[in-house]
Amino acid sequence: MRRQAVLSVLQKAILVLLILYIVLPLLVPLIFSFSTLWMDILPEGFTVRWYLKIFNRHKYYQGLITSLLIAISAVAVDAFICVPAAYAINRLRGRAGGLLRSAFKIFPLIFPPIVVGTGFVQAFNRPPLSWSGSLMLAVFAHATLGFPFMFRNVLAAFQTIDERTLSEAAASLGANLWQRFGYVIIPNVIPGILAGSLLVFAISMGEFEVTSMIAGFGWRTMPLLLYRSLIDDIRAASAISGILIATSIVAFVGMTLVSARVGAGKLRATERT
Amino acid sequence: MRRPSHEWFFLIPITVFLGLFIFYPLSQVVMRSFTDNLTGDFTLQNYINAFSQKRYIGSLKNTLWFAGACTLVGAVGGTFVGLLASRMSPRVRGLLLSLYSLPMTLSSLVVAFAFIVLLGRNGVFNIILNRYLGLPKFDLYSWHGLVVTYSFYNIPLMTLTMASVFLNLDRSLIEAARNLGARAWQVWIYVIIPVLAPGFIAGISIVLAGMLAAFGTALALTGMAKSLLSLQIYSHASESNYNIPQASALAVILIIVIVFSLLVLNWIERKLKPGGER
Repeated sequence: MRRQAVLSVLQKAILVLLILYIVLPLLVPLIFSFSTLWMDILPEGFTVRWYLKIFNRHKYYQGLITSLLIAISAVAVDAFICVPAAYAINRLRGRAGGLLRSAFKIFPLIFPPIVVGTGFVQAFNRPPLSWSGSLMLAVFAHATLGFPFMFRNVLAAFQTIDERTLSEAAASLGANLWQRFGYVIIPNVIPGILAGSLLVFAISMGEFEVTSMIAGFGWRTMPLLLYRSLIDDIRAASAISGILIATSIVAFVGMTLVSARVGAGKLRATERT
Repeated sequence: MRRPSHEWFFLIPITVFLGLFIFYPLSQVVMRSFTDNLTGDFTLQNYINAFSQKRYIGSLKNTLWFAGACTLVGAVGGTFVGLLASRMSPRVRGLLLSLYSLPMTLSSLVVAFAFIVLLGRNGVFNIILNRYLGLPKFDLYSWHGLVVTYSFYNIPLMTLTMASVFLNLDRSLIEAARNLGARAWQVWIYVIIPVLAPGFIAGISIVLAGMLAAFGTALALTGMAKSLLSLQIYSHASESNYNIPQASALAVILIIVIVFSLLVLNWIERKLKPGGER
């Protein structure tokens, strides 16, 4: 009896430690950003001053808008290229499909951000494609880093449904390809698209490496401002970190909700049959 | 219905995208790596520099050591947490694993900031260590400081992989082996390791490839003080130390190092597969 009690306390303690390992590094910047002073072990005073400062100062406000604009555009680009690709690759059973699938898995590994950045710096700073410093280039860079995540999620969604049978049923009722897409296929894989979008959005909002290599003089994203403020304004840094942490958490809560709904839906479907 | 497939038509957007944003930039990197920075003539000088100048050789060595250490810590930590997670009740496990998938999207700079507050010169943990336990302060801005910081990415990444690997481990397989008279070490070598190997190797491949190229958090914490191959590329490709052909040559070397390590891991995995050895 005693031994079991000790074991169960030990188990709980380990669980708490495992949770703290992730939660503490996320919580500390948040607490920092809401405190007036933190010189010792415990922070002092509650304030939203640092956040107000960010929203009132043009530089930071502009950075937030720029980051949102880039992230939303990158999500749109990735959805536009990945949904059709996942549709096609899900249908291509044989060798070609398998080859493409594993290629998309390995791509991000051998083409990491530092290489994407180096490539972009050279490929797009002179004719025929001199886009250097433009916002559009940042959108494409983030889309390049994010597309494996979008692709993986959308393909997983395709694999949970029997797309061929659904499409054939719709076709037999007279739906053409575009109608099938709009009314049958997209609604069935929307959880995958949503999950991929949230992931790409969160990654884009926090992206620093490639962005700093291709950034123009006309615009700054939140992580670029964070990099500067880590050196000269630790308070602004804490508020920007707070916003970025909140973005990641919101994205993950959203993803958990989406997958919970999909799971519930699947359960209902199996019960009915 | 069965017209020669319209599927290929749907691959056009991604093909154009990959061509424009992966293959075109990559070809430019490879081509520029063979040119002279000033004249633009063909040269092998950038590669000769990479293997003869002290700072490049040093950065390559540092990168290998650093990525190796990070992978080791990530593999050990992730396997441990993954094993624990696989033994929890589904609810608790779900919560823990969704928590552990958070760092994946977190900005490298946010992680740097968090660790400065926790473990920086006047970080909370360092005050506790120093004042109440009388221990020396932890140096976040050293190599092991970087390994600890990057573990915040690697341990969770490895945990997610290993938790599902352990969950898929069929216990009846182990029992069958024991019933057939296998000793504990034989069960490990002939049953458990071959089953765990593919997932484990896939996990450390991702961690190792990521760490060979990592630089965001390192740049934020230590600037250019710790010479990594990725930081050398960064400094040559952005304003401060502008030399694009040299950056390109180093990037090509980095890609080769990553591909080579992935191939080695793949080879090890095939050796460990049931029936792979002998």
